[in-house]
Amino acid sequence: MTKLVVIGLDCATPQLVFDKWLDELPNIKSVIDDALYGKMVSTIPPITVPAWTAMMTSHDPGMLGFYGFRNRKSYGYDDLYFANANYVKAKTIWNYLSRNRMSSLIMGVPQTYPPKPLNGVLIASFLTPNKDVQFTWPDDIKAELDQAAEGDYIIDVDDFRTDDKDKLLKSIYVMTERRFKAFRHFLKKDFDFAMMVEMGIDRIHHGFWRFFDKDHRLYEPGNKYENAIKDYYRYVDSEVGETLKQLDKDTSVIIVSDHGAKTMHGAICINEWFQQEGYLTLKEQPKEQTRLKMDMIDWEKTSCWGEGGYYSRIFFNVKGREPQGVIPQDEYESFRNQLIAKLEAMTDENGNLINNRIFKPEEIYRECKNIPPDLILYPGNLDWRSAGSVGTGSIHIYENDTGPDDANHAQEGIFIWRIPGKKWDKREDTISIYDIAPSILKFYGIDIPENMIGKPLI
Amino acid sequence: MKGFTLWFTGLSGSGKTTLAREVEAILLERGMKVEVLDADIVRTNLSKGLGFSKEDRDTNIRRIGFVCNLLSRNGVVAIAAAISPYKAVREENRRLIKNYVEVYCKCPLETLTERDVKGLYAKALKGEIKNFTGVDDPYEEPDNAEVVVDTSKESIEESVKKIIRTLELMKLIPETGESEYSEDEEDEVKQRLKDLGYI
Repeated sequence: MTKLVVIGLDCATPQLVFDKWLDELPNIKSVIDDALYGKMVSTIPPITVPAWTAMMTSHDPGMLGFYGFRNRKSYGYDDLYFANANYVKAKTIWNYLSRNRMSSLIMGVPQTYPPKPLNGVLIASFLTPNKDVQFTWPDDIKAELDQAAEGDYIIDVDDFRTDDKDKLLKSIYVMTERRFKAFRHFLKKDFDFAMMVEMGIDRIHHGFWRFFDKDHRLYEPGNKYENAIKDYYRYVDSEVGETLKQLDKDTSVIIVSDHGAKTMHGAICINEWFQQEGYLTLKEQPKEQTRLKMDMIDWEKTSCWGEGGYYSRIFFNVKGREPQGVIPQDEYESFRNQLIAKLEAMTDENGNLINNRIFKPEEIYRECKNIPPDLILYPGNLDWRSAGSVGTGSIHIYENDTGPDDANHAQEGIFIWRIPGKKWDKREDTISIYDIAPSILKFYGIDIPENMIGKPLI
Repeated sequence: MKGFTLWFTGLSGSGKTTLAREVEAILLERGMKVEVLDADIVRTNLSKGLGFSKEDRDTNIRRIGFVCNLLSRNGVVAIAAAISPYKAVREENRRLIKNYVEVYCKCPLETLTERDVKGLYAKALKGEIKNFTGVDDPYEEPDNAEVVVDTSKESIEESVKKIIRTLELMKLIPETGESEYSEDEEDEVKQRLKDLGYI
């Protein structure tokens, strides 16, 4: 049986990997020769949860029943849960492989905490609370993991939102080095399928984008971190190279990201906008920038509110649905359409349209399990992020309300697949994130379940 | 992980093979080593040549039990799906195998006759097949099966869930758990997500 190794690079973005720096990434370039590769369209929204799980199940966020990291458990105002592995009801690639008596090494793939049993080894992702809990399967590989990493295996970098860039840079490198070492250690054992997801590229994009992107408003020519991201990509490429060296010549390789990245112009304070437009009323207006809490809201005078993040989830206060709802249910759709029109007309400080994109969940997902947001907003098509804070005094802010951050997520990630001996007839311009799970199943000769929405690429 | 034997007993057509295969898939998914010994398949190799007299039937069940014991004492989950109509031989196997879990697939004869997917009950009732369990040969119901599934009333999913839950409670298979983050864990994750700008 031919083996497959997937190297997941969270947030690796096509404009840097394919367009800008490919010649400086010799190992990734070597995989691209004779590979199927291209941009990969991510989930809506293009964020880590749900994107990796969607990739591993070929289910969209609505089918999965989670729409981001935090989701509504009920229509109560503050009843949210974090979408951990226990909420993943759809079968993953490794579930199918285990069923077919094939073994898997799964390392750092988001939404695998708490770890579930499988045929193989699983090391949970950065959503693991801490290393004292059981975050591996089987439990007893924890000690081996630290040994394999030649140091403390790092779940994620600490103190990410920091101005101490030297420290952040160093910790990203240490994390990545240890992760790849650990992956190569376990890879020596005989697995049919192996997959790791490295988070460092995502972290370095958010932390250092302003230093290299000449279009970023804070870019300063000649700054000391000008090459930080490029150097790190080159470093990751070298780790990919070391990993490739360890594989036998028949092993197939996928390099993939869950979404891309782009410059962040600033943040749209969605709740400030709701206040200005008369949709949201607070009991008392804060005098300074304050994180919106549900008990600050005068619900009898509020029809909607938004959650901040790289995109915004907008929730309506519907009569008979939310505890103190005000929007009559029969006016729900007209209210929603009216709001969409207003959001589409949103401008920047100079009066230019910022090209918001707004989605109705039921129009973009096959089904909507659990409780979806009433609307999903990409501020400025993700050129801006969403800030949930109130008391900012402006709809537009340029210092992120949750700490320094230079980049937003972009809709398209990367995809590269080399199958030794196979020549691809054509290049794919764009691949869907949903195509990956059925493609991998087909690679292993496993029937593709009807509930997978993607199509096999082979 | 411990090996054990999961022994499905019940009349022909009661769902033994279907449930055994479903349970097999779930246990494989949980990383366990599993082998299914289905009576229909066993009779084409391990018990080739045996007939359906009481003596031959007992021999067949003893042979399956012998193999199940070898597998389960070596850490494999052995799943047997065989009518195994006689209590005494089933009890022999129970005594032989250290971790033995019996699943009784209960289904009334009327329902089986109505279902009669293979047309065997019709033939047996017409006398075209002799020594047919439940028609002209006895089936001795278990008194102490660890799991009883009523396949005339339960869906396959419900029966499988019952079996899996029993195995979890007996600590024979790992639990997958449905718990959420504890409050402290949730705070840690929340802080990390805040730091990362996701919330």
